Amino acid sequence: MSTGTTSARPGGRLRGVTARPEFTLAVLAAAGFVALAVATDGNLLSRGTLDAFFRFLAVPIVIGLSQMVVLAIGQMNLSVGTLTGLCAMVAAWLMLEAGLPAPLAVLGALGVGLAAGLVNGLLVVFTRINGFIVTLATMTIIEGLRYGINGPDTFQGYSQGLRDLGAASLLGLPVVLVFALVVAALVALFFGRAVAGRKLLATGGSPFAARLSGVSNDRSIVIAHGLSGLLAGVAAVITVAASGSVNSSIGDDLLLPSFAAPIIGGVALAGGVVSVAGTCLAAFLVRLVDVMQAQFGINPRWIDLIVGAVVLGAVLLGTARQRLSRRLS
Amino acid sequence: MSTRTATPPQTPAPGQPGPRGASRTPLWANPRLGLLFLLLALVALFTALRPAFLDTTLTLVPLQSDISVYAVVGLSQLAVLSLGHMNMAVGRMAAMSAFAMGLAYDRLGVSLVVGLVIGLLVGTLLGALAGLVISRTGVNSFVVTLAMDFALVGLITILYTRFTDGVAFSVRPAGMDALRNDTFADYCMGDVCGPYIPLVVPLALVAVLAVGLLFRFSRLGREILMTGANEKAAELSGIPVRSRVVQAHALSGLLAGLAGFLLAANNGAFSARIGDAFLLPSFLGPVLGGTLLAGGAVSVLGTVLGATLTQVIYKGLNLLQFQLDQLNLYIGLVLLGALSLDRVRHVAAERRGARA
Repeated sequence: MSTGTTSARPGGRLRGVTARPEFTLAVLAAAGFVALAVATDGNLLSRGTLDAFFRFLAVPIVIGLSQMVVLAIGQMNLSVGTLTGLCAMVAAWLMLEAGLPAPLAVLGALGVGLAAGLVNGLLVVFTRINGFIVTLATMTIIEGLRYGINGPDTFQGYSQGLRDLGAASLLGLPVVLVFALVVAALVALFFGRAVAGRKLLATGGSPFAARLSGVSNDRSIVIAHGLSGLLAGVAAVITVAASGSVNSSIGDDLLLPSFAAPIIGGVALAGGVVSVAGTCLAAFLVRLVDVMQAQFGINPRWIDLIVGAVVLGAVLLGTARQRLSRRLS
Repeated sequence: MSTRTATPPQTPAPGQPGPRGASRTPLWANPRLGLLFLLLALVALFTALRPAFLDTTLTLVPLQSDISVYAVVGLSQLAVLSLGHMNMAVGRMAAMSAFAMGLAYDRLGVSLVVGLVIGLLVGTLLGALAGLVISRTGVNSFVVTLAMDFALVGLITILYTRFTDGVAFSVRPAGMDALRNDTFADYCMGDVCGPYIPLVVPLALVAVLAVGLLFRFSRLGREILMTGANEKAAELSGIPVRSRVVQAHALSGLLAGLAGFLLAANNGAFSARIGDAFLLPSFLGPVLGGTLLAGGAVSVLGTVLGATLTQVIYKGLNLLQFQLDQLNLYIGLVLLGALSLDRVRHVAAERRGARA
């Protein structure tokens, strides 16, 4: 698993690894997983539970990445959740009402995501309105569109092949999770190696310095929002494949997790820093809390409380850490 | 209307291009004026399409109640926007205050006013807590209030299931029905009846006036705005920046609590659903009214106009029998349109200023 953190820290190689926030998260995730497995008498490791655990990890990872891409330039995308819902509805509509084969419907959903993301980016660039407000507005617009496709009704019984893919496993892991991890690796490569990705980080780190170095901030903004929309489309395709039916409420519960994963994962809201591995691990941690609730029959409302506390705790830990390392150096 | 808007900031907000040279934008570039024209045009349009839009009991009275709630919601967000902060937990702070009020009425049997004070106190404390975490740790306000929102969502449902038999308190303290149903027209003074204004309106009006006066004239309000404009400079000028941050967030919590009370009064019940739909309108009002997210400048009158505009659109489209979810589409488009127009106006004003 490759990571996309940009700041190279001084010090020995091993110390460099253990000092990374991702390392802490990985240890936490592993410890949490083992603890939960022991606490449930190994029930967590049973075939069905483990499969469900990983299958529903795919969407949180991708949606977290979708938010992370925009956080990289120091902006936010409030429309990720509803956009995922819209893309899922479009895919189902294309298959059921327009009668297109599944691959074309998938492409259609990705196209809608990309287009909506690009519109977000272009609006930010041309109107110079804060990205938060622009995506707040497009979020409401997309909410209306999402509802407009099929009203309150549910789409179901679409392409068997796609649903089979959603239920299939590869080497013991659900195909949708493998797909999400591949997407994560591509995003990591984009930020680690691609020129456009590095420019994005430069814009996020310091727009002024980026401009002086010949980076087009406007282009970075459009690319980041476009990519975010595309990833929302990917999350929609996974949802359509894995869930078997979609309606206009899809995506309503994704906005807060989309922020939780990158923020716990150590991505700065100010921009310029991303961590693909951190985001994935944070999504894993949140999923652990989810499964814990299901296993012990806890009131699901406690989960929101716990996740809220975890987000705040992670951020506080990050600040404390920074202060400590500043004092040490 | 006697509220005043705060003066624009002396320094251009960081990250914004800001007007160069032209320190004064011409009158026609005032976003409030544009908002007022848009409002009048929409009212005319809706009246032409559905004459029932001007029906007193059917539309105008409920509309005023709704505007009261959402103007206060907007002010709650405005209180922290003045710092350049955000409050993602407005809805949940309102719900928590409403829960405290419901509990006080139900278990302690207190009067309407005492319960209101208790609820407002809870809201204020929640806001102050958020402000305290933000100012002590330096963590982004968005993250802190988002995490708080997460936490409160869970807590509120748990509390409601524990203390009520469902999702709402069934109790109605004396006076609440009057607050919900009556207008001043129901209270005749001699032969002259009052205007058709619901009883919740004065409550909101007091809040608007108080916030307007606070940011315009009081030392506290001005210092909060200075903190928002430039925290470093404010600190160097001897302003206790940290406590100003806490106070602004406490004010936001207080106003969220008031909004929760007003909505509960309008709905006739203290329920767990209060505040669910507050987040978007809380930003719509101030932003449409010309308040920047960057902090340092607020427009109280603009916020009221923005909230009014949004509610007029909701009501009008409702009368035209649009589905509730479809409304969102148009609200979003209007928001984008209004903001883009604002930008065009701004650029045009700048050009004109440069030429003159």
